[in-house]
Amino acid sequence: MNTPIMLIVLPLLTAFVLGLANLFSKNLIRSIALTSAAVHIFLVGKVARRVLEEPIIYKLGEWDSFLGINLVIDSLSLMMALLISIISFLVLIYSLYYIKRHKLKYYIILNLLIAGMMGMVLTGDLFNLYVFFEIVSVTSYALVAIKDEGDCFEGAFKYLVMGSISGTFVLLAIILTYQTTGALNLAHVAANFMEVPFAIRQTIFVFFFIGFGTKFALVPLHAWMPDAYSEAVTPFNAISSALVIKTSLYAFMRIVYTLYGIDFINGDIGTLLIYWGVITFLVAHISAYKQDNLKRLFAYSSIAQIGYIMLGIGVGTENGIIAANFHIFNHGIIKSVLFLVLGIFIYTKGVTKIEDIKGLGFAMPKISFAFTLATLAMVGLPPFNGFISKWLILYSSLEGGYSLAAFFVLIGSLISLAYYLRIIKVLYSKGEAIEVQKVSWTFKFPIFVLTISSLLVGIFPQPLLSLIEQATFFLSNNTEYINLLLGG
Amino acid sequence: MNSIYAVVGILICIGFYTILTKTNLIKMVIGINIIESAVILLLVALSYKPGGSAPILDKGYELVVDPIPQALALTAIVIGASTTAMMLALIIKIFSKHHTLDVREIRNLRG
Repeated sequence: MNTPIMLIVLPLLTAFVLGLANLFSKNLIRSIALTSAAVHIFLVGKVARRVLEEPIIYKLGEWDSFLGINLVIDSLSLMMALLISIISFLVLIYSLYYIKRHKLKYYIILNLLIAGMMGMVLTGDLFNLYVFFEIVSVTSYALVAIKDEGDCFEGAFKYLVMGSISGTFVLLAIILTYQTTGALNLAHVAANFMEVPFAIRQTIFVFFFIGFGTKFALVPLHAWMPDAYSEAVTPFNAISSALVIKTSLYAFMRIVYTLYGIDFINGDIGTLLIYWGVITFLVAHISAYKQDNLKRLFAYSSIAQIGYIMLGIGVGTENGIIAANFHIFNHGIIKSVLFLVLGIFIYTKGVTKIEDIKGLGFAMPKISFAFTLATLAMVGLPPFNGFISKWLILYSSLEGGYSLAAFFVLIGSLISLAYYLRIIKVLYSKGEAIEVQKVSWTFKFPIFVLTISSLLVGIFPQPLLSLIEQATFFLSNNTEYINLLLGG
Repeated sequence: MNSIYAVVGILICIGFYTILTKTNLIKMVIGINIIESAVILLLVALSYKPGGSAPILDKGYELVVDPIPQALALTAIVIGASTTAMMLALIIKIFSKHHTLDVREIRNLRG
């Protein structure tokens, strides 16, 4: 009965139990964290069975939706929850032997981060969203700084300065929304939102766009990402690129589609979002092409994928929304593989630059093969999942009549092919024979699971696509979302 | 009421000016704090009603101020305090490594 709220409470509880458990035995930490993540997946599955029949409205403390806080779980929230739960479980397995310093702090902060992300995707309340947004932000800064060596503090500080400003903008937007509509519940706000003067609606949109845009690294606001990523520990890179920026993107998408309705997107704002997305991925691809540092390159590549997703959101047709959400899912899987493999290279050989991985393809054949598959999927070649979502984005932009944007999608893919092929070429070029130590199965297991699922989703996309098709229903019909809560 | 919007706007501009022009890390933190305070001031000002009493719904109340923005202000203060603490902690770490707080010199040291 109370399973929905347990999805948020369980990681939160685990974080504090870990601190207590450490007093008794240091060996308990990892097993507790792992068990909790496994139970979390089970709970998401349990919720999923109910959500597939009808969306869940969960009233916290049985308060009426006007006063209390609601959790609203439809198929889209479910998709995000599944992604968060599964990828964080796999990253947790990966971290078991990867993290050597500050273990206790790492697991506590990671669990808080998971709780924050689950809260962001499940909540139906604007202020609740803001609180979880800040939990996610603060824990992300801490996870960048937790490496405790090199330049990680400078990276974390830059992230923190830009993050605090973005949080202020989100708060300002929420205050304005409350002042003009007198409600914080998304459905209540949406019901009264059309009566708000046009100028104020525009201001609110701009504030949300800047606030969330800084967090999901839209191009002029992306500067924190390469700096923070290149200094952070690799499991955090995977989590951040696959999940943290996606939850901000999800929040932005949910708010804009629910509050403004699909007609607003189809007007001028859609064109703005589309070309902003195009500029984002072009600038990011070109910057990625110039990088020598592998982590910076992947960071720019993540920014580029955000550009593609913005394009899908901006098109504003049903196909566009499906494409954008499918790409959120696929990029989460593929980019975690890339970062996790890179993590193994760093762990065994201490690589930072592209030249450093020379010849590793022969020394670690299986992992390098997974890496190659993931890069092909990232570029968007069949039969991988990346191909299908990119194809859908291309198709939807053509269908919406934005042929220029569709043309640039192809150009962007060509540039990304160029820089990913360069990495593959160095990886498989002959050098002097390299001795590598054997790595534990905990490193390889998450990579193989994710690579195989990338291939499977690419070959059989239909089950996932039908889930996402359901998910777009509430995004494109915001009156249905309002009726769901207010029972109109 | 309009004068409060003006004050909030001026404070936010001062905050941004500080963040963008100052090279000292601690002054940047102060700039961020000014912006956060301005937003909290806006929250408190919005809920204020002249002559309103505290929102305790006992007998004999007539005009009460809106409690929700005040609850939001408290939350915003807590979040602001935690990010400030974190920024200052990071500054301590940066200072112990580079022995300077000047952004330009830190950038030079990093190469």
